[in-house]
Parts: sequence; structure tokens; C-alpha cells
Amino acid sequence: MAGIEISALTKEFPGGVQALNGLDLSIADGEFFALLGPSGCGKTTLLRTIAGLETPTSGSVRIGDRDVTRLPPGARNVAMVFQDYALFPHMTIEDNIAYPLKIRRQARETRLKHAHDVGSQLGLDGLMRRRPAELSGGQQQRVALARAVACHPSAFLFDEPLSNLDARLRLEARTFLKRLQRQLGVTTVFVTHDQAEALALADRIAVMEAGRIRQIGTPREVFGRPANTFVAGFIGSTPMNLLPGVVRDGAVLVAAQQLSVLDVPDGEVVVGVRPEYVAVTENGPLAGAVATVENLGTSSLVTVDVDGLSIGAVVPEDREVEPGTRVALNPTRVLVYRDGELVS
Amino acid sequence: MIGVFLVFPGLWTLYIGATNFRLTGVSAREPDFVGLDNFERALTDQTFYHSLWLTLIFVFGSAVVGQNGLGFTLAWALRDARKWIRRTLEALVLLAWILPSSVVAFLWIAMLDRDGGTINALLGTVPGIAWTVEYPLLSIIVFNIWRGTAFSMMLYSAALSSIPPSHLETARLAGSSGTQTLRDVVFPHIKRHALTNTLLITLWTFNDFTPFLITASDYDAEIIATFIYNKAIVGGEMGYSGAISLLVLLMNLLLALVYLRVARRRLA
Repeated sequence: MAGIEISALTKEFPGGVQALNGLDLSIADGEFFALLGPSGCGKTTLLRTIAGLETPTSGSVRIGDRDVTRLPPGARNVAMVFQDYALFPHMTIEDNIAYPLKIRRQARETRLKHAHDVGSQLGLDGLMRRRPAELSGGQQQRVALARAVACHPSAFLFDEPLSNLDARLRLEARTFLKRLQRQLGVTTVFVTHDQAEALALADRIAVMEAGRIRQIGTPREVFGRPANTFVAGFIGSTPMNLLPGVVRDGAVLVAAQQLSVLDVPDGEVVVGVRPEYVAVTENGPLAGAVATVENLGTSSLVTVDVDGLSIGAVVPEDREVEPGTRVALNPTRVLVYRDGELVS
Repeated sequence: MIGVFLVFPGLWTLYIGATNFRLTGVSAREPDFVGLDNFERALTDQTFYHSLWLTLIFVFGSAVVGQNGLGFTLAWALRDARKWIRRTLEALVLLAWILPSSVVAFLWIAMLDRDGGTINALLGTVPGIAWTVEYPLLSIIVFNIWRGTAFSMMLYSAALSSIPPSHLETARLAGSSGTQTLRDVVFPHIKRHALTNTLLITLWTFNDFTPFLITASDYDAEIIATFIYNKAIVGGEMGYSGAISLLVLLMNLLLALVYLRVARRRLA
């Protein structure tokens, strides 16, 4: 059990690619922490640096009360689950799970008994004598988890462990993973590019872009008050409306209509509103014609043309509108960004 | 094409193996059919067994152990090396493989020469050791390792790069040592490549004639290809050497079958 402290961590690859740029991060003991960002943002490099698979150019990594920056991966007592699960094809499931214990020179009987205990905890009874190729993707994923659990690490490091599963299975595995982490209470760092996964699983999320952390917060904070337009655009299954606007005497104006009054200095701004918080009504500050309607199941995403701006709004399933209809929009929970950063 | 270049020579060997065909004299003109006499003679010929034994040592030492071992070691050592180091070394090793046999043989004669040979000069032995005369079998084994390692190295490089990095990293995270990683992750992954490689280099080495260019007809290095050459061209006994060639062909076939059997059973 241990927290993870990262300070001033920089990683530059040969050829001058700056993967991590002076990162500071503190992950609490037992926390389920997600590293979220588009591909190439450095999240996997950060995870691999914590694991010791990459050596940082500068900065330090502490796990618990140990500085592990210069320790080899095997001495860090962390367990990693890879995207491809990395199960050894020539070993049975029980041998795969017991592999880290074999390296620690535990007797075959002891380690197999332990592997069976962990295996049955993860619902792998009856599969222990098989080989990885005979298992489904979901089962393989659980074997990889079991191998990580079996060696009692001080931290779990997950590198997109759900992305090789099909959509339905991924939801099941997500719930399973969250419950397992709660039971074990082991500090977990989880890399994903899927914002919904990060929101669903994590206690806290770090949103990364180009080797830097753009925001750290709980899922609620990151979703409700994105700190900048990058995070605003990245989080949320329907993209946030980011509209050009101006502030005049505290009044926030979009398409020359007043949306709200905020304590913000005058000037040009970007106004952010989630489609979920835009109501389609008969009376509202913004008016326009419905361009498209996309069905999202229990709701629909309606795109409305307002003076040349496309504004998305989510309406419940019984409130659908026909394309071409003129409607009014009433945005709430308006966020104001200046130079890309949240000001109110 | 296959008929002209493979089946016909095969059948022709079978035919002359069953005659007393010679390079010169009466039976060169009108060879007589002698049935299985040549085969009978071969199986009771001590020099044939002597040659076979030398061939076994030669193949085992230079190919199965030498080229395999050195090729794998080089591939494993170079996998994380800087690009230019790897490229340079690969180029040098490849050079040994692509140079014409006659050139290579000449180089080695110069290396192993008693007077003024490179190796004697390096060792500072005075008077020099006549390597090719005193240690003829060792000479051609070392020569053949040097010559053929490139192929094994390239094959193992390809095999090693097919191991998913995450498997090696899983081993590293578990804290496994170099030997443990080789045993648990690397060898199981490249087993099939290793078998194929061993089969190929065994067959090539078995039939290799280049050592003749270095040790000539030295009796202590008379491997089977040299033996056949000496019987056919030097001794003129085409019929007898044809019979031996056929026996060698059968041995090769048997070897290949054993390998394939093992490959199918162990790796299925």
C-alpha cells in the first residue's frame, strides 16, 4: 500500500521528442487514478516511467516512502496489466498467474495454491489448466488482472486494459475492475483515451496534452468545470459547445444575445456550454432552425443554426423536434474562457 | 523445370550408383550394371564410416552448436544496441556469408598459414603452428562457424523482434533475471524458429564442399562431400561415389523427417 509522488518529471526521447514536460503529480494511497488524453499525449510514457520501463531524463518518482527513480522495474513492487494482456502462450493459466511468484522463488505448491485462490476470486475456476489461446478476450483480461493481484504489489498500473474488449464486454469489465479495486484498496494508475471510461472508473483524473497535465480533478470537477478549452472539448460524450462571444459590462453575449451576467472583465471570450445543459424551449435568448437530429437512445442531439453558429442541445426522447423547425435555446451553466483558460 | 533439374539428376545418381561407371577406361564407355554391389561396398568401407563420423562432428560442432549459438548470442546482444553498431556488425557478419567461397578460402589459408599466417602472428607462436595440417577438423569447424553465423543471426534477429515487447516487460516487472527471461519468455517464443534454423544449417553444412578448399584431401578432415569428390573425381569411381551420394541423400531426407516430426509433436 503506497501513494505515488511524481515531481518535475521530464522524459525526452532520442531525437528530441519531449514526451513528459516537468510533471508534478501526487496520487494518494488506495486511490483509483486515471491518466486521460489523446494518443501521443504522454500518458503511457508516464505510466511506463512509474513502472520503471522508461528512465526519466530528470525528475523523480516515489512510491510509498521509497525513491524508486533509479530502481529497476523488478525492485519497485508494482504490477502492470498491458493492453495485449501479455499472457505467456506456452504456459497454462495457473502458471501464468503464478509467474511473478515463481521469480520470487516460492515453492511450486505454494504459488499454485495462491494462484488458484486469486483465480477463483476473479471467476477463473475451471480454466486454470487451459492455455491463454483457449480463453475468450474477457477471460484473458481477468487472467492478466489475476497475475497482477497475485503478487500483492503496492500499486497497479493499467495500460488501456479494456480497449481490446468489445463494447458490451468492456462495460462489464469496467464494473468488475472498479469493484475489484475497491475490495483490494490498492493504489491504481489507469491509462485510457476513453473519457467515459475515466469518468466512470476513477476517483481522480489527470487530463494530459502534449506531455503536460491540463487539469487534475474528480470526474465531477473535470466534467462540470473543465479548466481550459482543451479539457472542455475532450471530456463529455457529446462535444461541448465552444462559441465565440464577448463580455460587455459583465453581460456575456453570444450572437449578440445575452446569455448570463458574470463578474468577468470586458473583452472577447469563448463561451462553453454542454449540450446537456442547453434547453430547447419556446422562449430563450438564442433562436434558430434545427439542422440535424441525432438519436442517442434515451435522448437526441439536436443541432441548431443560430446566426451561422452551430449549437448542440440534448433533448429527452419525448421532446424531439423535426429538422427545419424554428426553436429557441436557453443555455444554463455557462462557462467563460479567455485565452483558452477558464475565467468563470 | 523440377523434372529437369531435380528429378533427373536424382534418378541419374540412382542409375550410376548401380553401375561400375568410371571416369576413364572401358567402363567409362560401356558401364556394366552391378546391382547393389556399390552400396554393399560402401556399408563395409571403413573409410566411409570414418568420413561419416567426421561429418557428424563437423555438422554438430560448426552448425548445431557453433552457428546456432553464436548467431543467437549476436542477435540477442545486438537487439538493444545503437543502430550504427548493429548495422556495422551485421554488415561485417554478412560479408563472411556473401563473399565467394574461393575468396573466403584464400583468406583463411592466409590466416591459418604456418609461416606468416595472421593467427600465428597474433599468438606470437614461433615457429608457427600449421593449423590446417595439425588441426584440420578444428580449422574447418571454426571456418564454417565464421562463414555461416550470419544466417542464424539474421533469422534469430527476426525471431526476437517477433516477441511482443509486453511479454519481455512483464518478465522485467516480475524481476526476472536475464537467464530467467531467456528460459521463460524468449526460448518458448523462438522454439519453432530455432528448429527450422537448425534443420537448414544442418543440411547445408552436411553437404558443404568449401572446407575442401582449405584442407584439401587431408584424411583427418575428409568430410562426406570431400570423400565423394575424392572417390569420383580423383579416384574416378563414378559408380561408387554415385552410390554414396544416394546414401547421403537418404540420410539428409531422414534428418529432415526427424526434425519435422519433432517440430510437429513438440510445438503442436
